[in-house]
Amino acid sequence: MSRNFVTPIGDEGIYTLDTGSWRTFKPIMNKDKCIECGICMSYCPVGSITGNEQKVYTIGYEFCKGCGICAYECPSQAINMAKEGD
Amino acid sequence: MNYIDLLRESEDLVTPGMSACQGCAAEMCLRRVLQVAGRNTIMTIPPGCMAGAGVVGWNFDNGLKVPVHIPLLDNTASFLSGVSNMYQRKNRQDVNIIAFAGDGATADCGFQSLSGAAERAEKFLYICYDNEGYMNTGFQRSSTSSKGSKTSTTPVGIEGGGKSQNQKYMPLIMAMHNAEYVATASPSNMKDLVEKVTKGIEASKRGFAYIHIFSPCPTGWGHDTNLSIDIAKKAVKSNFFPLFEVDRGNWKLLDNKNPIPVSEWIVKLKKFSHLSDDDIIAIQDVADKRMELLRKLSS
Amino acid sequence: MDNKKKIVAISGNKSAAIGAALSKPDLIAAYPITPQSSVVESLADMIAKGELNSTMVHVESEHSAMSVVQGAAVAGGRTFTATSAQGLALMFEPYFRMSTLRLPMVMAIATREMTSPETVWSGQQDAVTVRDAGWIQMFAENNQEILDMVIQGYKLAEHKDVLLPVNVCYDGFYLSHLTERVEIPSQELADEFLGSYSCNHVTLDPDKPMAVDPLTSSEILWRYRKSHLEAMQNALEVIDEVDIEFDKVFGRKYGGAIDTYKIDDAELVIVTMGATTGTARVAVDKARDMGYKIGLLKVRFLRPFPSQKIKEVLNGKKAYAVIDKSVSFGWNTGVLYNEIKSAVSDLDRAITSMPAIGGLGGADISVDMLLDCIKKLDEESKNYNGQLATYWFE
Repeated sequence: MSRNFVTPIGDEGIYTLDTGSWRTFKPIMNKDKCIECGICMSYCPVGSITGNEQKVYTIGYEFCKGCGICAYECPSQAINMAKEGD
Repeated sequence: MNYIDLLRESEDLVTPGMSACQGCAAEMCLRRVLQVAGRNTIMTIPPGCMAGAGVVGWNFDNGLKVPVHIPLLDNTASFLSGVSNMYQRKNRQDVNIIAFAGDGATADCGFQSLSGAAERAEKFLYICYDNEGYMNTGFQRSSTSSKGSKTSTTPVGIEGGGKSQNQKYMPLIMAMHNAEYVATASPSNMKDLVEKVTKGIEASKRGFAYIHIFSPCPTGWGHDTNLSIDIAKKAVKSNFFPLFEVDRGNWKLLDNKNPIPVSEWIVKLKKFSHLSDDDIIAIQDVADKRMELLRKLSS
Repeated sequence: MDNKKKIVAISGNKSAAIGAALSKPDLIAAYPITPQSSVVESLADMIAKGELNSTMVHVESEHSAMSVVQGAAVAGGRTFTATSAQGLALMFEPYFRMSTLRLPMVMAIATREMTSPETVWSGQQDAVTVRDAGWIQMFAENNQEILDMVIQGYKLAEHKDVLLPVNVCYDGFYLSHLTERVEIPSQELADEFLGSYSCNHVTLDPDKPMAVDPLTSSEILWRYRKSHLEAMQNALEVIDEVDIEFDKVFGRKYGGAIDTYKIDDAELVIVTMGATTGTARVAVDKARDMGYKIGLLKVRFLRPFPSQKIKEVLNGKKAYAVIDKSVSFGWNTGVLYNEIKSAVSDLDRAITSMPAIGGLGGADISVDMLLDCIKKLDEESKNYNGQLATYWFE
């Protein structure tokens, strides 16, 4: 190993777990109802909801844990929790 | 720029896959804090839920995109005092120096070092995510656990009715330290939280800044994972967790003249499922009296 | 600090403070405890008078003292603090971390007996009890050595093959409060010796983001410990190098990790650490006048333990007595005794040895008391080869 093992440091990558595999329910956005307010993004604990330059918000599923906060808090009930695997 | 625009455009500097529980308000707040603070930041996160979830690094990897250190459970504030003083000497006051610590590290064993740093007006921002217990180690009670909380060290049985003492109210204790900025915040009031973190960072260039965040814990408190924001919202609306700030001695309280009863959200938590009506009245009473005191202080 | 050498009469605490000031630390943590308080008072005074450009942080406990300097060190600074006994015990948690994070610094310990019984007076129990927390520990004989070793301490600590914090220990009250002749070198010479400070260790820096001290698995942790042990062994060599270099610049040398007095033809040896050494030199002279063939082994560094050098010095000797100002609970001896015995344990011939314990809680060890001890060592070693009964100074 080329490391010196002096002060313990973490400088190689970023420690990432496959939290997407935790889900049993999956949030699905209904863009007909969505008003692009961004509140779901502000309340996502995992940072899985992102908005683009046009202020269009989408849910990413790589790390989403399926907690359901986005669905519960959406002011226009535009997000539905569907069973994972359906 | 409104807070939604800020959050949309600011980089998430936390690892995308951290092992915090589903619906963890602390994970949410950590991401928001770093979105506001940006890359020119040094983070310290003592042992607790956040550190345990991987953000302080593992083996040769980091857990954040900024420099991070895990202090001892009891010395976050004194460690940061050293960092802050050194960065002042290097003329690098631009660097944001922030602690993100649980209630155990803040109100219990870290209390002395926190009080010392505040009294010395050390220049950094200390944020406490209060999930009312030592959640990472299995939900043991802390001094900020509400009265009646069923925890792993205050279980319920013939001889036990949950925590027998009222919670220690950290926000007012810290407000008595002549700090530059002291505030309470809730993830439910995200706009307010983002504004307060921004103010806190700015105040930390002038002196000591402290923010106390109400952090619902689905696993430890026993509620559905999708209710974290709802619980926080109701805690604020019932005056159980008032939102106030003390900015250079100026008090500002978000007053709620028509609060909802605490019973509206307390009964949703399994940790309170054993409470009698009298117990709930006692909790309501504590919340009401505390709000009265805050009204007097901010008038 | 002055740019001329000065000769003054000052206390051990003042010597430690001046040694620190000459080393220009970035940050000093200050908390009072008997008998070191005047160290930080002297430094506060120098800062107030504009003679020292260090930041002083007035912490609320010793645990925070070590934590504050740890933060400052991880932010790239040179740091200093001082403590004793209960304060050292209180800071044990971050103390252990200072060395295992491999952060250089110098901390003065005005050694003091540990409570209980309730005490504030001299002893060495505090420093020796934390000997296995990974720090370099040296014990000074007199105030000049205190001042010199604080400066040498930074050179040793910050060496790229060492990167470990250093304790400069000196007997509470016996050195901390006693006035002796001390030569204060000029700031110029100190600057020449230490060079301008450059940080050789890991730092928290947004320009180079990394996790400092990530959670570490067992597959990896042992490598850090092994490297720490190696750094300690490197330190044994660096101690000698620094001693020689110091002599070149300041004209004073101490012999490295150990020193000896009238040892070459000695049959009996008395082993000391700290201020007792001064008394022992006089006792050795008097004992020689009385016909004893006695010499002195002064242990300067307890960590890293100079076992090879000690083995070489004691090889072929008839008997030795170790004067401990501490106890090793669980053994019927003091702490230094066990370390010395371990160092000579693989010699061909076992040497008769006597554990001697005294100077606890401020008790004096006089020249006459040492002479009695020497007499006892001589008598007992005539008839017995092995470990003698523990000798208690009363």
